[in-house]
Amino acid sequence: MENEIDTDAHRNGAVESPDSNHHTAKKPKLATLPISEPSILDEFSHHQRGVARINNGSFGSCPRSVLAAQTAWQLRFLQQPDDFFFNVLRPAILRSRTAIKDIINADHVDRVSLVDNATTAAAIVLQQISRRSAQGHFQPNDTVIMFHCAYQAVKKSIEAYVTPIGGSVVEVQLPFPVRSNEEIVSEFKKGLEKGKLNGGKVRLAIIDHITSMPSVVLPVRELIKICREQGVEQVFVDGAHAIGSVRVDVKEIGADFYVSNLYKWFFSPPSVAFLYCKNNSNDVHHPIVSQEYGKGLPFESAWVGMRDYSPQLVVPSILEFVNRFEGGIDGIMKRNHDGVVKMGSMLKESWGTVLGSPPEMCASMIMVGLPSRLCVKSDDDALRLRSYLRVYHAIEVLVYYQALRNDDRDPRDKDGFITGYVRISHQIYNTVDDYHRLKTAINQLLDDGKVCSGLLKE
Amino acid sequence: MDENSNGSHIPKTKKPKITLITPSQIQAEFAHHDASVARINNGSFGSCPASILAAQRRSQLAFLRHPDHFYFNQLSPAILRSRTLIQRLVNAHHLDEISIVDNATTAASIVLQHAAWSFREGRFRQGDAVLMLHYAYGAVKKSMEAYVARAGGYVVEVPLPFPVNSNEEIISEFRKALERGKSNGKRVRLAVIDHVTSMPCVVIPVKELIQICREEGVDQVFVDAAHSIGCTDVDMQEIGADFYTSNLHKWFFCPPSIAFLYARRNPKGSAFDLHHPVVSHEYGNGLAVESAWIGTRDYSAQLVVPEAVEFVNRFEGGIEGIKKRNHEGVVEMGEMLAKAWGTHLGCPPHMCCSMVMVGMPASLGIESDSDALKLRTHLRDAFGVEVPIYYRPPQEGEVGVVTGYARISYQVYNKVDDYYKFRDAVNQLVQNGFTCGELSD
Repeated sequence: MENEIDTDAHRNGAVESPDSNHHTAKKPKLATLPISEPSILDEFSHHQRGVARINNGSFGSCPRSVLAAQTAWQLRFLQQPDDFFFNVLRPAILRSRTAIKDIINADHVDRVSLVDNATTAAAIVLQQISRRSAQGHFQPNDTVIMFHCAYQAVKKSIEAYVTPIGGSVVEVQLPFPVRSNEEIVSEFKKGLEKGKLNGGKVRLAIIDHITSMPSVVLPVRELIKICREQGVEQVFVDGAHAIGSVRVDVKEIGADFYVSNLYKWFFSPPSVAFLYCKNNSNDVHHPIVSQEYGKGLPFESAWVGMRDYSPQLVVPSILEFVNRFEGGIDGIMKRNHDGVVKMGSMLKESWGTVLGSPPEMCASMIMVGLPSRLCVKSDDDALRLRSYLRVYHAIEVLVYYQALRNDDRDPRDKDGFITGYVRISHQIYNTVDDYHRLKTAINQLLDDGKVCSGLLKE
Repeated sequence: MDENSNGSHIPKTKKPKITLITPSQIQAEFAHHDASVARINNGSFGSCPASILAAQRRSQLAFLRHPDHFYFNQLSPAILRSRTLIQRLVNAHHLDEISIVDNATTAASIVLQHAAWSFREGRFRQGDAVLMLHYAYGAVKKSMEAYVARAGGYVVEVPLPFPVNSNEEIISEFRKALERGKSNGKRVRLAVIDHVTSMPCVVIPVKELIQICREEGVDQVFVDAAHSIGCTDVDMQEIGADFYTSNLHKWFFCPPSIAFLYARRNPKGSAFDLHHPVVSHEYGNGLAVESAWIGTRDYSAQLVVPEAVEFVNRFEGGIEGIKKRNHEGVVEMGEMLAKAWGTHLGCPPHMCCSMVMVGMPASLGIESDSDALKLRTHLRDAFGVEVPIYYRPPQEGEVGVVTGYARISYQVYNKVDDYYKFRDAVNQLVQNGFTCGELSD
């Protein structure tokens, strides 16, 4: 993956950002020391003291230097908003889009739009399906295919935009715990067959790059290859967690639409995401229509009415930040992956349970089985445990309930079937202590003979 | 005063406070404005005092510090507090009639997407009309194209005279447009009416127009009142619209960006089936709940309405006092400029609020939209004056008329010097024999 960006070619004579050290990414020179541990802690010193923050996946995190860059942009707007709007905003958005284009190996900056988040991108993609159907494009028996664990907002977006036009949905079961890519590919192929029943065409396949709950890295390249072989019309990859977590090469992946949130693993403030569109369609639109309508999605997304666009402007500052680390973003990804696997294994050993996936099928998050004695028997139980850990132990971690399937996949520990998992994350601010606290808190519950249903709800 | 659960009070409006904000405190609140600029374009991007920005920052920090806790425990009650205050401010009868969205542009997409579904699903017939003013905001026109026209609606524009002399001129054109919309046995399904048009800026007699709509069998009325809250009266019962939106970041001192969308419960007591086009897991729980969560974002601008209400209550007469003084100020300054330049205002004082259109000397040679924009840029770059310019094409037979109007605004931070600076800049341009033709593209 390339992090180097040709900064000068993309300046366009634009006004300098308020950050006086601003220059877009170059790999650190040999003489430059990587960022020190105390500096890293300082960058995240605004995080609540005492909280073991091992749920980076939900809301992400943003270092102080990037927040400072954002504040500078906000102040610039407040000082003289007209000047900002006419002279500063657009070049700055173009700089961010260009930086993203290089990171994701897109052919042209025209393909890259900045939106708020993956939820917005889903609305864009699904509204477009809805519009095509209004032109008589959808036939009866046509389908949309997605994984059963697709993000809830995506599912609702399908309900809002696809169901009313008569499209039906095929859900592919994600095997979990998962043992190999082959298991996923096999289920997906079965889903495609279902999608093509009675002469139907699969109009859209929605594939997570990294599923949310339970969290697993899917073999997207392979799945998309199969989609093309099977005549799927469009593929949308929901890579909400991907950038800063796994390598994202949109050409290699080959999706028609690819979205990823920058605020989860790529250190941006809330919120900004990029949406990559393989084709230069003139009928993909932002659902919030402004004067820019019809000029192409990147322009439409760059102005959806008066708002604070500062999160979209800090990508160059983010690159400066990640390049202070040994190996830049690649180094960060590797260390996060190694860290989360190590900590996940430590927890698994301590609790006598299992991991939800093999290490190579996870990035910077991993699912770790909870002891069966905790009796996680429902989504409600999972939520209770999550609240309990937050309130009584200041531990922030997602808890997942996996119903038994009554097949050989149901994992066991010495006391029974494992039906609960924690999704732990590792980001640069985490310390080993965060995970030991989780280990101890769970072990304490076991020692006290507590079960989830007995925990008080927040 | 009401105490809510975390101790901050919701102040009552209208009772004068014992200690009113002083001029130097006002200065301090807006000290972040570029002091070298005569800022007389509050209408475009609004303004936000330092104390409210500080409250916003606290909210942002709370999220960054512990986002899960913020999301589960703080966000929803805070949005509810804001909505409750807005409900009171605009005299809506039911809390669920008030949703908070980013801006009027978003509100327009919500209402017009709803209209598009009505066309697609046959509730509105193909060719039924949707009305809008010729001076409707650019984004709204595009939204009409994207949603209404595309779904089979027939878009009818109401031409408006400008300069305008009376409400009757507007009402007359509106009636004619309604007739056009109803021709060939069609119905007018939706009328989109600006409360305060953007460019050129005029206060539209919305109450009267809505009454006419009801008489003429128009199904629904959507008022785009982007400027209104903090600028004109915004009483939902008085005005009588089905949908009404206004930005709080223009004239109600909120940071970018926050607007409300009011959706009247229909006569059967149920809500219109409006949806936010960005669909989250809250889909189907009502627009207010949908809009309060459209994925992870910074919602902090939506949470400082309590502080905005506190801020306006530091002024004599609260927001009513501010509106009155802004109106008087802009009329006085507008008349001063018109007199100095030998021109006129674009409308009578009773048809403007805290903005007014002032004719520019004809010698400046404003002959196109492009000229108007270039002149605006020139005023900014060469004179430090920020003001939008409107190009008013000459009508058939008109000779030597004023073709350019400046939309000046008056907000609590403005000083007389701001307008003198503008007056002098234009006088200098006229003296130098300047014309827009001199400006490069």
